[in-house]
Amino acid sequence: MKKRLLSLSLATVMGLSLLAGCSSGGKESWKVTCPWAPSGVAAVVSQKAAEMSTKYSENTTLVAEAIQGDAATVNTWVADTEANDTELVFVGEGLLSITSILDPAKMQFTYEDFEYVENLYSSIFVLSADAELNVKTIADLEAYVEGTSEISVAVNGATGSEAFLAAALFGSMGAGDKVKLTPYQSAAEAAQAVAKGETSFAVSHQSQILETAQQGGVNVVCAFDEKAIEHGPFEGVEGVGEYGYPYFRNRCFVMARAGTDAEKVSALKDLYDQILADEEVVTWLQDTMLLEVDTMSKEDVEAHVENVKNIVNEYKDIVAG
Amino acid sequence: MLEYIVPATGLLFTLENILWINIGVFVGSVFAAIPGLSVILCVILFLPVTYTMTAIPGMMFLLGIYCAGGYGGSVSAILINTPGTPHAAATMLDGHPLSQQGRTKAALKIALYASTFGGVFSALMLLFLGPQVAKIAAQLGTPEYFMVCVFGLTIIAGVSGKSMIRGIISACLGLLIACIGSDPMTSYDRFTFGVSRLYLGLDLAVCLIGLFALVEILAKAEKRLDALHLDTRKIKDDGKITKSEYKRMIRPVLLSSLIGVMVGIIPGTGASEASWFSYSQAKNMSKHPEEFGHGSVEGIAAAESANNAVTGATLIPLLTLGIPGDGTVALMLSALMINGLNPGLSLFTTDGDIMYAIMLGLILVNIFMCIQGKFLTTLFAKVVSIPQEILTPVIVIFCFAGAYSVNNNYFDVGVALIFGALAWILRKLDMPPVPILLGLVLGKMTEPHFRRALLISNGDPAIFFSSIYCLIFLALIIVAVATIIRGKLNDQKKERAAAAAAANVHEEE
Repeated sequence: MKKRLLSLSLATVMGLSLLAGCSSGGKESWKVTCPWAPSGVAAVVSQKAAEMSTKYSENTTLVAEAIQGDAATVNTWVADTEANDTELVFVGEGLLSITSILDPAKMQFTYEDFEYVENLYSSIFVLSADAELNVKTIADLEAYVEGTSEISVAVNGATGSEAFLAAALFGSMGAGDKVKLTPYQSAAEAAQAVAKGETSFAVSHQSQILETAQQGGVNVVCAFDEKAIEHGPFEGVEGVGEYGYPYFRNRCFVMARAGTDAEKVSALKDLYDQILADEEVVTWLQDTMLLEVDTMSKEDVEAHVENVKNIVNEYKDIVAG
Repeated sequence: MLEYIVPATGLLFTLENILWINIGVFVGSVFAAIPGLSVILCVILFLPVTYTMTAIPGMMFLLGIYCAGGYGGSVSAILINTPGTPHAAATMLDGHPLSQQGRTKAALKIALYASTFGGVFSALMLLFLGPQVAKIAAQLGTPEYFMVCVFGLTIIAGVSGKSMIRGIISACLGLLIACIGSDPMTSYDRFTFGVSRLYLGLDLAVCLIGLFALVEILAKAEKRLDALHLDTRKIKDDGKITKSEYKRMIRPVLLSSLIGVMVGIIPGTGASEASWFSYSQAKNMSKHPEEFGHGSVEGIAAAESANNAVTGATLIPLLTLGIPGDGTVALMLSALMINGLNPGLSLFTTDGDIMYAIMLGLILVNIFMCIQGKFLTTLFAKVVSIPQEILTPVIVIFCFAGAYSVNNNYFDVGVALIFGALAWILRKLDMPPVPILLGLVLGKMTEPHFRRALLISNGDPAIFFSSIYCLIFLALIIVAVATIIRGKLNDQKKERAAAAAAANVHEEE
């Protein structure tokens, strides 16, 4: 009996101690949840922003966290947070424009569940081709598409932004039925697949194909943007917009929970704007991450979401079958 | 390599890392010293703690537990003739007799020094071999990786206990559980039943808390364990090891360390195999084979250096190919991946400074294990007799706190409880849990590589035999399966012979 009492008391004391340690401590630190890979572009930029937050605010600290899970992570975030909670989350066109159309049951949230804070970055995706194909420009690509029966493209995830960019480009060239999208589990893996000869093309962030391109394994054919790339190692690579093909940039919106006080949201936006205007951050984003600072208004965000939705509706048959 | 070692040294030698190494070594030694608590249980309980850490301190903590677990098991083996961990069983054969001769401290010292040498040797092997294997891994494509995964799945045959069929069933269960969540090739949901928290799949740490930790509590509740009584006066000897004894230890320690590394590299084998094989080799090569089983210093040194030499070697296939050598290192994979570090060449190039810091840290772990062992052995010895009434509630609290802390929600606590109940039923059916763990880990890698390879080849299975690497791995799979089946058949034959002999004796009586 004594031993049982000892066991029970020990368990109670330890349980109470754990609960006692659960208080928040009262600091205004905002946890920023990235629902994608911890080694991915968004998580890395979020980490950098968190580091810089102490430089620009004495009251607000950003704490970066990455929980890979896409819609599932955001579902959990929405379920576990309330207005004015010191929690932020990233969403992008992948969730707001793609999943919302292809698999709405997976999303237990809508755009209305968030309060837009700022766009963390803009990324111009590029299409790279196996060097052996000798496809270096959009004109080469059009000629290749005409003469081939299958266009295999490595993409990150089965229904991500990369898949829709590939579908939109080849679909608008009239070769939607020739496209074979091969999904990989990470953007880096997809970028390497083309160099290993597993696919003919890959769509990726610029930074993820840089090393392979420098080694000569692939040619970067075009950028998914209106005009040619203006900075960095891929400067001068043609934009598909110049040829009238559809495109969109990959963006990462920082969101607070809907109903959060306007002053708080405004203070966070100011903080992000200061961080994103910092010369060190601008240079780092441009030269190291091959991304662009692209602060946006709420209206710009809504326009971006609508543009991608239109593309998804038009080319979803190529991606989802 | 040198370009990474300098920044890695800077990253490694921080107060935080040194602290976590020491906490890990201490916790690992304590857990391994207590019979009934295992290193894998310890790693599972503390894995959620590492989720809040960056890669280096997290891995230092886990490696501290892992390596010290190798040595800690010998403490109870020597003191009370009960191995704290299965791989300390060979140490017990000579460690306890030496202790009974009044040389307990000497036996513990021999085990400590041999463990340290084996561990450092193994860490050096990892440092030099790891990057080379990773270069080969970088050349592997989707079909080759599928073959690597299948090779990894042959581990299941090695860890399936007495019945391979039961092991395979357990592994299939693990593979099935790994399917819960989004389909990797289409993003559509599978087995989620509309439960939103299942879209992400089940967290490995949460499942394992149920499978390995909670089930232990349930098992303990079923049987009454007698308290272990330890006479600490037994460890009051001077612990002196003579020069001739040191000389006699050199050869078995060197050979056993090499055996430990070779065994550790092969997935599915482990510290137990290494220590028994080394023990038998040391006996065959010894000038005093008659001393084995009666307190031979060579026997203790051989078994202990071998089981610690496995530690670094099991990390080679893990870090280069993502194939865990045993259940414990499979858990370390999730500690790495949570920090965005994926196995392969990039781990040794893009993240080279972090990786080299971890590999150098493994040497440091062994050094601190030696220091703690030297000064805290008496304390480790005393924990051997901690009553279950204290241990059990502590573990229960760690289980629930650990499950909750993974995603800060009670859903995971429920999942851990369900897995605990499942593991208890499986235990009743004599189904081993380790194949479930390997199925869970490898399932997430095997399926996408298999389906993607077929997508690339437009459904032609010849893609799995299309390159030299595929053929090499196919040959390895065949050899591994044949060896394991042969071993199992031999075991069955021996069991039948023993049963027949026992029946004859019974009839004669």
